[in-house]
Amino acid sequence: MSTAIDTPAATAEKVTAQGKARAKRGETLTGWAFAAPFAVLFVLFLVVPALYGLYLSFTGETLTGAGSGLVGLANYGDALRDPDMWKSLGNTLWFTVLSTIPLVVLSLALALLVNLGLPGRWLWRLSFFLPYLLASTVVVMFWSWMYNPTLGLINGVLAKFGAAPVAWLQDPKVAMLSVVITTLWWTIGFNFLLYLAALQNIPEQQFEAAAIDGAGKWRQLFSIVIPQLTPTTALILTLQILASLKVFDQIYMLTNGGPAGKTRSIVQYIYESGFTGYRFGYSSAISYLFFVLIVLVALAQYKLINRRSAA
Amino acid sequence: MTDLSRRGLLKAAAALAGGGLLVGCAPGASRKTTDLSYWHLLTGGDGTVMAGLVDAVNAANLGFHATQTVLAWGAPYYTKLAMASAGGRAPDVAIMHASRIAGYAPGGLLEPWDLDLLAEVGLHESDFPARVWEKCQYDGKLYAIALDTHPFVLYYNTEHAEKAGVTDALHAMKSPDEFTEIATKLQKVTGKHGLSYGYLGDGAQMWRLWYTLYKQTGADMKLVPGQPAEVDKDAAVKTLTFVQSLLNDTIASRSGDGGTATSEFLHGQSGMFLGGVWELPVLKDAKMPVDALPIPTLFGTQAAYADSHTFVLPRQSKVSPERRKHVYTMVAEILKRSVKWAGGGHIPAYQPVAKSAEYQALKPQSNYAGIPASVNYDPDVWFSGAGSDFQNYFAENVQNVFLGSGDPAAGFDGFVARLNKLLDRPQPV
Amino acid sequence: MSTYTLSRGIKQTHKPGENPWSVSRMAALLVLAVLAATWLVPFAWSVLTSLKSEADAGAAGITLNPPDGFSFDAYRKVLSAGDIPAWAWNSLLTSVAITFITVATSALAGYAFSRVNFKGKRWLYAAIIAAIIIPPQLLIVPLFRQMLAFNLVDTYWGIILPQSFAPAMVLILKRFFDQIPVELEDAARVDGAGRLRVFWSVVLPLSRPILAAVAIFVFIGAWNNFLWPFIVTTDAHLMTLPVGLQTVKSAYGLQYAQNMASAILAALPLVLVFLFFQRQIIKGIATTGFGGQ
Repeated sequence: MSTAIDTPAATAEKVTAQGKARAKRGETLTGWAFAAPFAVLFVLFLVVPALYGLYLSFTGETLTGAGSGLVGLANYGDALRDPDMWKSLGNTLWFTVLSTIPLVVLSLALALLVNLGLPGRWLWRLSFFLPYLLASTVVVMFWSWMYNPTLGLINGVLAKFGAAPVAWLQDPKVAMLSVVITTLWWTIGFNFLLYLAALQNIPEQQFEAAAIDGAGKWRQLFSIVIPQLTPTTALILTLQILASLKVFDQIYMLTNGGPAGKTRSIVQYIYESGFTGYRFGYSSAISYLFFVLIVLVALAQYKLINRRSAA
Repeated sequence: MTDLSRRGLLKAAAALAGGGLLVGCAPGASRKTTDLSYWHLLTGGDGTVMAGLVDAVNAANLGFHATQTVLAWGAPYYTKLAMASAGGRAPDVAIMHASRIAGYAPGGLLEPWDLDLLAEVGLHESDFPARVWEKCQYDGKLYAIALDTHPFVLYYNTEHAEKAGVTDALHAMKSPDEFTEIATKLQKVTGKHGLSYGYLGDGAQMWRLWYTLYKQTGADMKLVPGQPAEVDKDAAVKTLTFVQSLLNDTIASRSGDGGTATSEFLHGQSGMFLGGVWELPVLKDAKMPVDALPIPTLFGTQAAYADSHTFVLPRQSKVSPERRKHVYTMVAEILKRSVKWAGGGHIPAYQPVAKSAEYQALKPQSNYAGIPASVNYDPDVWFSGAGSDFQNYFAENVQNVFLGSGDPAAGFDGFVARLNKLLDRPQPV
Repeated sequence: MSTYTLSRGIKQTHKPGENPWSVSRMAALLVLAVLAATWLVPFAWSVLTSLKSEADAGAAGITLNPPDGFSFDAYRKVLSAGDIPAWAWNSLLTSVAITFITVATSALAGYAFSRVNFKGKRWLYAAIIAAIIIPPQLLIVPLFRQMLAFNLVDTYWGIILPQSFAPAMVLILKRFFDQIPVELEDAARVDGAGRLRVFWSVVLPLSRPILAAVAIFVFIGAWNNFLWPFIVTTDAHLMTLPVGLQTVKSAYGLQYAQNMASAILAALPLVLVFLFFQRQIIKGIATTGFGGQ
């Protein structure tokens, strides 16, 4: 992100000092005029709510307007002592671990397989990518039906093998797993596509050179392909972790955070504290605590990636 | 040089601002006063009956037309309703569980009903059971008009009961031991389970059964914000232990979820079924030999968990008096037709219907018609009620007890600790 | 300016000097086929259910030849109920508006960052970079309050405006503009064209591929977005497709075939568009996903 942002506006003519000043003013006007439509939206719908949320987090504001006024750090203290907050945070981290690993590893495997150049390539690409285009609601409708304990396909197939039906979304032991499977199915297409694109940008000559050196397929994979993909993997990992931490839609709709809060994500808890529990101030405080976590994760990733590329 | 671009941008900005003016005329802003919007959360059999009632009232040409919007049951519905009321864009009338009024009325999210206007459409306090009418009040004002009472009841398979020779005992039992004995006898007849009860992952179901039994011991649960919860731990442990003893995979499945329990009972694989009255249509449709009873008094005091569907007036920023008048008429008309609603298992709240010969002829509905006299709603506090977190907290702490792996006392303590935490917080409404 | 191409391997199905029918290739093909089939199963099962009668759909067990046969009844019922077409219209309207405003504002701002030296530029740029890590999910409460104050709850603009800017897209476009040779613009400016003219007639035409990529990315995101439209709409007539399907229920009970028909209908528009413009969409997503590098 350190690319030069000061690309000169290429007016190479010689100007007097006065003209220079005028030109500079003109540039500033032009620049702001171009940036204004974006900047207005950016300020109104991001900067203002972010600051307003920070203010709310120090108040007792509610949906109904019942409580108001500053309460200092009370909301933050409450949040840190709230078992549901910690549980939702734990669920979110657990979901992030469970989903990120297969979403990175499996998407790479799929991309490698598709990139072998086997026949029917468009079909493979279509199959893995298509779910990514679906709205979360549609994904959940499909999967609720798949997971249906009595009528669903999965238990139907299990029954054919004589296995007992599983309450995929109601059983506290498997609910999170079910949510992860659905997420994997839904979102793997994006990572898959990035890997596929990156694979095709590896220069052909490298393989040829390696082949001349007598390197086998697997050697090529580990000595050329995977190292070449490192920047892509770093990017995918970064995007994936941040996306998984923000999970809400599919869990909210599949299990509503249940059974017994076992799958409730932190974003859902923010939503519930604010809109179901009416406590806007409290909800904002949790948002900010979570935001701190996100910043820490982002910084850690940035450091890791920088160190690796420096090495 | 910059002139052209600036002018262009100004034009673009003006266009955007012009677009902003469109905001004022959002669709739905100008409705006719004869159009009533009505929200509810009734689906399945209930939804079909309600749709029929709305159609019937619309067809009566009373000068208005009600359009119903059905939202997903539970927290999603109540969240949307609160958000709509907070924004002042609420529907003209909505269904709310009586147990949720304490969470809505104090925050100004509801408007009270006017007793004089109610009298004009023929509705009076005397038309409703006393306990139900009382629950519809908050702070001395009437915030809800009850449509029904829907308790948790005991269904049994009449053929199995006959075969096991327990039909009379079912009606007469007075102690937990008798219940266990009957269930064991029924288990021998069915060869699978004596009792079906689905609760896994469903806090509401756990709460309904346990609270019925807890209240039967004569114990109370008082929740007042700012004070610790007043509960009777001995009674709680006694009743939890009893429930745990039933879920032993012989009398009843240890890990039954709602769907499994219903289908088990439907297919004759158990003799009794603990469920809400709203399960009745499914059981009747299956043409199985079924009867229903209030949950027998096992711990000394007659008590039943129940809730009521009620009509409420969500807060609107602009109230049209004409439309409001139509709402009163609509509610009265639905209540007068509520014998249809009773077909879905519910006990009509409107007494002229509940006492009518037509309702008394409905079987097994009229078997449990007396329940409203001994009904127990959720404790009155802003965070309790149908589809609320309260029942989730119960599930989180007590599900292990039901599953057989948790200690009743520890589970209950966990629940009370959770309640105390909530009571300790400032009330947000 | 290197946009990612995904077309290469299509002609070249195997490397020279390699047996196209080798055992390892066949094994790979088999694995691929099994995985792809697994991925398509939820679609197939849903389509199958949607074509059954309600009675057959609600019967336990896997039936591939239901007693009542197959029909489009469920689709007919769902469409005649009228909600889905209305929600689809809302989705289309809001997504198009969001895409248009986002692309337009991002392109203008990206150009300013790339070409114009204005006061406050570094400061604004830093703010945008910092903003990328703020998840919009965290702003739902203050934003809802704000929309109440602006009287924008339950309006199209309430859905559109908070989704109509994307800091990441500004960066992507800026990086693209950086790579356009300045000389191309100089020629136009010598002719006396103003900045906006140059932008419009020189820069934009050169940027079509990246604009398309950004537009595709934004549109898909807007079409499928759930949380914000869910928060800001309570009026069923204003809901977008994903929100309406989730929030509004049928009063007539659990109807599995109709439920699946609704899901398929909601999925159809983007799936069809994808089938026709597969290459462009994949390229758009890959390019934008990589941050336009």
